[in-house]
Amino acid sequence: MSGSEAHGSHVVRVTPDDVRRLCEFLYRRTGMLFDDNKRYYIDRRLVERIVATRSDSFQAYFAILRSDADHEIEHLINTFTVNETYFNREEHQLRCMTSDLLGNVIRKKRAGEPIRIWSIPCSTGEEPYSIAVWLMENWSLVDTYNIEIVGSDIDTRALAAAAKGVYGERSLMRLSRDVVGRYFQPVAGGGHQIDPGLRESIQFTRANLIDPTDMARYRGFDIVFCRNVLIYFDDSSRRIAAENLYDCLGAGGYICLGHSETMSRISPLFRVCRFSDAIVYQRPEADHDGR
Amino acid sequence: MPFVKRDVPAPSTAGGQPEDGRASHEDNLAAHIAALGSPDTEARWNAARALGGRADAVPALAAALGVESAARVREAIMTALMRVGDEASVMALLPYLRSQDAAERGASIEALQALPEAIVPFMAPLLADGDSDVRLLATELARNMPAKSATRMLCRLLEHEQHPNVCAAAIDVLAEVGTRDAVPALQACAERFAATPFLPFAVSIAIARISDTDR
Repeated sequence: MSGSEAHGSHVVRVTPDDVRRLCEFLYRRTGMLFDDNKRYYIDRRLVERIVATRSDSFQAYFAILRSDADHEIEHLINTFTVNETYFNREEHQLRCMTSDLLGNVIRKKRAGEPIRIWSIPCSTGEEPYSIAVWLMENWSLVDTYNIEIVGSDIDTRALAAAAKGVYGERSLMRLSRDVVGRYFQPVAGGGHQIDPGLRESIQFTRANLIDPTDMARYRGFDIVFCRNVLIYFDDSSRRIAAENLYDCLGAGGYICLGHSETMSRISPLFRVCRFSDAIVYQRPEADHDGR
Repeated sequence: MPFVKRDVPAPSTAGGQPEDGRASHEDNLAAHIAALGSPDTEARWNAARALGGRADAVPALAAALGVESAARVREAIMTALMRVGDEASVMALLPYLRSQDAAERGASIEALQALPEAIVPFMAPLLADGDSDVRLLATELARNMPAKSATRMLCRLLEHEQHPNVCAAAIDVLAEVGTRDAVPALQACAERFAATPFLPFAVSIAIARISDTDR
């Protein structure tokens, strides 16, 4: 027996075969890969979801999952992923930005030209502010170019919170005290508010990744951070989002996805670029085929 | 601060969407269809993207797919057809299951898998196709279908299928989406291919996974 939990008058059980079936489905659907040493971790979360959906067996739950009734795929993914966002999450991609990506971006630019960076979805603002702070702290050429950072999300409440820029200790846990001191001010009632200069520097907008008309407003980005969202989309939405993102990037622009996401599973439009700190995807400089 | 802020343009209805009436809609349609034949790759890409979801553009999209040489534009045309999702768009995508280009086969499979209801009328002929590669790819199309209909179609295939790789593909799909109604067909397949050890092994895995499912 692989896992079990009391559920009302009976016990929910999942077998190793059930777990394998789930893992294969999850891999195909999302790209999330779990090997045998994560079995206990999976069992617990699977049983949680079986109980939460009031399914009386794995089979009944799996049918709900396959039909995505009540967004069950999203609920299940949420049990496997870190949903809370915080400053400098997946810091290796920020390192990659300053150690490799920007070096390539500025080859085509003169001093004073804009460098455009987009965080979508930006949720409550931790990611675009992290990008800004990281650039201030880690890129010696930060004052040489006009850097434009845009944060977009479909959720206007999240955007309002982003514009306000007030964060609790937990959001700041990855930042040193020095950095917090330089870029945040304590606010009455708890929390820290990001420097007003930074708040004024970042454009927050509403955007829907799978709406081509909406996305047509965004063009010419050099770097796009689009992390941990495509994993929630179905195949057709992912294809549409990938084409939209392609159009939003300038030629040679880069896209950074979440650690469990791979664009090569979603779309052949992008080139895989392996850097020392991260794997990112690039819109090719030019078409290599055509008429 | 080294940062600059620039306004993002307001949402518009441009990009191939009808603006103010039928005439404009048809003008856009005609312009985008014409652009599908442009020598400029970017223009063809933009046209394919703009025609996504427009049923009246399916014949033009299908014709363009037949002659398009740029991989990314082919990809955009397939997405555009997928967004329509009707019988005509399925018929435009189906021929690419026979493509010699693996990427093209893969793209058509992905687009068709996203249309599980629209492809139902085409499944029986696909699963009986004379080309075993087409039958094999067709089993994959059943993966996104409701469990009962996928089980019924794949069991019917297993009853007659002679090619072990096609059977293996069907068994793999049944292991994920099948119901216990598939168990007799799976057992019969294992007996028929007893001399091909990987098939009875695959059947044993599939049966272990689905034998407790509801019918």
